[in-house]
Amino acid sequence: MFLQRSAVALARRAAVAPALRRTLATTAVRRNQVPERKFKSLSEVKTDEDLIGPGAQPGTVPTDLEQATGLERLEILGKTEGVDVFDMRPLDASRKGTLDNPIPVRGVGQEQYAGCTGYPADSHIVVWLRMTRDDPIERCPECGSVYKYNYVGPEDDGHHHHHHVEPEYPEPKTWADYLKPEYKWA
Amino acid sequence: MTNLIRSNFQDHPFHLVSPSPWPLFTSISLLNLATSAALSMHNFNNGYILTILSLILVISSMSFWFRDVISEGTFLGNHTLAVQKGLNIGIILFIVSEALFFLAIFWAFFHSAMAPSVELGGQWPPLGIEPVNPFELPLLNTVILLSSGATITYGHHSLIHGDRKGALYGTIATVLLAIIFTVFQGIEYNVSSFTISDGAFGTCFFFGTGFHGFHVIIGTIFLSVALWRVFDYHLTDNHHVGLEGGILYWHFVDVVWLFLYIAVYYWGS
Repeated sequence: MFLQRSAVALARRAAVAPALRRTLATTAVRRNQVPERKFKSLSEVKTDEDLIGPGAQPGTVPTDLEQATGLERLEILGKTEGVDVFDMRPLDASRKGTLDNPIPVRGVGQEQYAGCTGYPADSHIVVWLRMTRDDPIERCPECGSVYKYNYVGPEDDGHHHHHHVEPEYPEPKTWADYLKPEYKWA
Repeated sequence: MTNLIRSNFQDHPFHLVSPSPWPLFTSISLLNLATSAALSMHNFNNGYILTILSLILVISSMSFWFRDVISEGTFLGNHTLAVQKGLNIGIILFIVSEALFFLAIFWAFFHSAMAPSVELGGQWPPLGIEPVNPFELPLLNTVILLSSGATITYGHHSLIHGDRKGALYGTIATVLLAIIFTVFQGIEYNVSSFTISDGAFGTCFFFGTGFHGFHVIIGTIFLSVALWRVFDYHLTDNHHVGLEGGILYWHFVDVVWLFLYIAVYYWGS
């Protein structure tokens, strides 16, 4: 629906006569200097600077594609290409995660929380699990489903090799610390 | 867009607001307004000076707060679809609470009017009260308010269809009709044969129509801000939550007037 509307709107814009009438002498000169009114598509966006539209012509009602900025613009650019930039879908709950085949949890930060409700979904109350880049595997203490942090953010830039995030309280010791490391998720 | 570039932007669509002084300013100003209004209503010396000062403070705090919201929504692009949805729900909840406020006012009216006590002469309108003729100015005001509902719809649909002139004219007409309505209500109050202290009738009449008039003024300001934002190219054909909030509020005020007209002006006279 959005695509349809914006396509119609864009076509309408193209047919609008220039609102500012100038003397004949300057019009031809100015015409040639008018910068191309083009906006960057989703694939061309790199930073915040790219999330600014060309703006509306004077005397017209702006469209979202012409005028939206920032995160709103990112969302709209995504929608015009069928990309959901905010993937708000819940985690895969079609199975119970195992150590061999954990449920992936996508994230771009140093740490990421995920809420487990068991399998099938909503089998138990939400249990929040915290994963970090250093310690990506977490197991739900309620149902035993295993989650693994799938980090997709920027690689280390070589200056800050140690991104370890210290938890507020140190993790309590388990059998894994004294007997066998594989007991950690047992 | 690669994951790497995507990670330059916020991962979720929600607007985590930055620290702002306006909630605190508004709270303190509102507390001052309530206390000083109570003082001045009880004829404390110079209480009204504090009331007017507090009112200026409330209006200033709200103006700065809404200025920030406009900056965040229109200029910074913080109002994604999810944020717009939240704002809309907020407006609707606010209007629902307003509806319940008016329900209480109507309850007070019907409590006195449906079973008039002996002190009122056992009749409604009470003995000796000359109510307003509903087929004079109130009928004209009904027509004006209903027309303003039509003009704002014209303005709204013009905006959606990208017709800037239509949007401006429609909204200007609505604001003008709103001002005319308020002026007419002022005239009606001036020529009324009873006052707010003339027993249950006067109390209920001015309680209901007074608060309605107050809401008309708020709605007029709401729509005037939206009008300025259409004029100043803030609002797009698709994203105009502020205007839509104003329109919803205006229709609510319109509906309250219909109930007032039927119950208080017509049936109650």
